Amino acid sequence: MKIEVKQITEGTEQLILHYKEPTPVVEGILQVLGKADAKLWGKVDDQSISIQPGEILYLESVDDKVFAYTANQVVRLEGSLTSFLLGVGDEAFFRCSKSMVLNINRVTALHSLSGNRIDATMEGGEHIIISRRYAVEFRRLLKGGRGE
Amino acid sequence: MKKNKVTLWERYLTKEIGIEFKACLYFFAILFFYCVYRLIQGTQTADIWHMTEMIFTCYIIGYLQVYVFWDFDEAEHLGTREILGMVICTGLYLLVSYIGKWLDRNLPATGILAVYLLFTYWCVYFIYKTKRRIDDKKLNEDLRLFQSEHKKSES
Repeated sequence: MKIEVKQITEGTEQLILHYKEPTPVVEGILQVLGKADAKLWGKVDDQSISIQPGEILYLESVDDKVFAYTANQVVRLEGSLTSFLLGVGDEAFFRCSKSMVLNINRVTALHSLSGNRIDATMEGGEHIIISRRYAVEFRRLLKGGRGE
Repeated sequence: MKKNKVTLWERYLTKEIGIEFKACLYFFAILFFYCVYRLIQGTQTADIWHMTEMIFTCYIIGYLQVYVFWDFDEAEHLGTREILGMVICTGLYLLVSYIGKWLDRNLPATGILAVYLLFTYWCVYFIYKTKRRIDDKKLNEDLRLFQSEHKKSES
């Protein structure tokens, strides 16, 4: 594959990839590019802002509106929790109850509760309860699908 | 996305198994006390009717514990309501033991049974708490492993 890299001082930055077949190399490049551009757009006080999915501590759905909580702001996102999960496609985002999704990478501690529930302490100090219904799947996910 | 959520039936079954487990646990605790009492009284046999009453009582009180008295032996902390639950359930056991003549309506023995049951409840509470503490360690180990593996896969 011919690779041409050119640094420019003016004009729009662009990456053009010409390929005949989607080989693993091509797919890998596309995946990296997709991740680099995986920004989420939302609103804070009617102002549009962008955030990286990794910044999100957890998401909450209230009256059909989805709010993403980062360390220092609450961003209203378009769509539902399900569409968010499908769009991000990252297993670190886990549906922990009907109305909440948490970012496992931003969890600082877990505490086992009675009734097979789990209390997750987030980086901001908030406590999120993983309900009994989702706790089994959560444990399985942490073990990387290795089972009990 | 895989659907691994626990179904309503599985949730019911988990609760039911928990109650069965409690019933067996408290039945054996009471049976041990009963056998010691019988031995002290010079009898080396146990009444089958008494044992039948005991297991049914344990089963019914197991339901009450879980559905009415906040599952106090699995509680996070022993507060007023948990202690109240323990006292009420102990009272119910004493009442049935008195009516069923498990301890021949012997008041000092019934009093000792009360202390024994409260101590058993406290032990079970402590065991569940210790089990959860061990589970915490495992959960947090798995969490760190997940986070480091996820970070590796991203870079």
